[in-house]
Amino acid sequence: MSEPATPPALESRLMTQGVERLALLGKHAEALMQGYVEDEVPLGELSTQALRKLLAARILWRPDEQGGVKLTPKVRELIAEMTADEARRHVNADVAEALELIRSLVGGYREASSRADYWHQERQLTRLRQAVDDMNGRFFDAIDSLWQRLNSDFGFVSQLSDKVRENDRAQKQVVRLLDGLELVDFKELIDLVGSDGTLRKILISQLQQQTSQHYTSLREVQHRLIELMARFRQMQAPSRLVAGMAAFLRERPDFTPGHYTGRGEVPALFNRAAAMPIAGAAALDRAQDVDALGALFKAIPAPRRPAQAATAASPAHAREDAAVAARQQALKEDVETFYLDVVDAAGSAPVSALRYLEESPHEWSDEIWLFQVIAEYQGLPRSEQRAFILQAEEEKAGDYNDVRLIRDVALTLAAAP
Amino acid sequence: MSDDVQTSPVHTPLLSHGPLLERLLAGEFVCAVSDEAAFKRLQDDALREAFDAYLRPLNRRLATNDDQSVYFLAWRQLDDAAREQLTRQLSDTVHSLLPLLEWLQLVQEALGRDSVPAPGDVLKPGELQARSEDNPSLRERIERVAGDTFFGSQSDQLDAQLKQVFKRLKEHGYLLQPHAERQVYLVTGKVEYLLDIVRFIRDEERLPVLDDADAQETLL
Repeated sequence: MSEPATPPALESRLMTQGVERLALLGKHAEALMQGYVEDEVPLGELSTQALRKLLAARILWRPDEQGGVKLTPKVRELIAEMTADEARRHVNADVAEALELIRSLVGGYREASSRADYWHQERQLTRLRQAVDDMNGRFFDAIDSLWQRLNSDFGFVSQLSDKVRENDRAQKQVVRLLDGLELVDFKELIDLVGSDGTLRKILISQLQQQTSQHYTSLREVQHRLIELMARFRQMQAPSRLVAGMAAFLRERPDFTPGHYTGRGEVPALFNRAAAMPIAGAAALDRAQDVDALGALFKAIPAPRRPAQAATAASPAHAREDAAVAARQQALKEDVETFYLDVVDAAGSAPVSALRYLEESPHEWSDEIWLFQVIAEYQGLPRSEQRAFILQAEEEKAGDYNDVRLIRDVALTLAAAP
Repeated sequence: MSDDVQTSPVHTPLLSHGPLLERLLAGEFVCAVSDEAAFKRLQDDALREAFDAYLRPLNRRLATNDDQSVYFLAWRQLDDAAREQLTRQLSDTVHSLLPLLEWLQLVQEALGRDSVPAPGDVLKPGELQARSEDNPSLRERIERVAGDTFFGSQSDQLDAQLKQVFKRLKEHGYLLQPHAERQVYLVTGKVEYLLDIVRFIRDEERLPVLDDADAQETLL
């Protein structure tokens, strides 16, 4: 906005009204921001007169009679732009309309120029500069918004699926912006400005430089967006794979895949060789190692054996018991044979146990033999005991010792009653 | 297997790669997270060829996944014993799929992340515990996953369940614990390998999994 030309009445009225209405924004900033955040403007904070002014200034509007009062889209956009609220910032580069405006302003400028109406000419030029600046500004804002989103990895949404959608939306915006830039046809503009140096500066040299900058930026943004999208998709893929497969396996607990390992060519992923134990042992077959091994051996800390609890020492008996039991059994069997032989002999003469032992191949000591013969007799049921007569041959242990020692026993088959 | 490795000379000395060979032979996966230096070295074609030549008498070769994010050893010749081992392994893998996938999903949800845990991500049992303590639905799911035979937790305490799950994931090479005394874990490239397997099974069996763009939304 340059060259303050002498403002006629129209312009002065515009000034007054603009300042008044801009002031409304500041005056009701809090209520308006609440409307921005919560969709509807809380009416409790606004007087009827204030509300009327805000509606007249097209800061607020009432979408339908019953509904509440809301911010107009332009104000919403303005706030989004000012706060760089990327979730709501709009990208709008309606190049076709801007170009149309430029064409008509150039037409007006030429007319004023041919009429030598300098004030009007100057005014058209200002508006032309503004129109070009606007168009540039829109691209600049749009690109800025895109970069902000890119640099924050779409940080204004937390979930990956939202980021994917936002990225998709941003990519579409880039395409629309590029399409818009395509509309700027410099051949047409060159024809339009003709030989006018001022117009040439605004519409050719400046604009060309700016559009080429925008073009480069947009290409870069597009490239980065696609890259980021690929990264998002890459991040998403494993989650989906895991979720999908887990759901499938839960549903089909009996699922068994093919017999991959039986195939002629086992798929690479499933060919995992078994782990190999890796061990080495001390070897003394190399003279040069002996010293080193000796040192190692010396360095081994003496094993500290924990004191053994007395109760832990019991198992030593077991084997002895087994051996004794086997001998005991053999003795018992031999004695039983002795009894059977007595029965077989069926004689009435007593059979001496010791003489039997002497004549037999058994090698029991006399004492143990006698002991077992007596034990066997006592172990018989009373009815069978009666079938035998066991006589002990006893003597006194000594002249003054009345203990009776058994020298021998004789077994006789009792006569049937 | 082709025999082209035989013709290429083994000019890289293997002496300094002993520890790496040992880890591979022990059945470990080597990725950029588990051993960055080794992983970088394995990018070298000559070294990989040297490894293959060295591993030949052991009937093994160096193998990798589609995007070469993990290296492991494969059988060179598939004899009956090798096939039997692979079949057992496949069956174990299939049985571990659901608990592992559910776990990945759970972590993503509990931590409010955009994606399932990926190689290099940091996981802390404490953080998971804090996030799920007051969330009965998460707790219930952790309990169910932890109680699966793959994780094998017997406990009804959240911290013990998480401890067991992390322990098993570490044993299986999906997680790495850089400091034994600190409860901070790194996700390894083996998770990538697991997803490769899932993708393979999906494609091979033509499973109706994926392409469901909304699956993500129901997740979070």
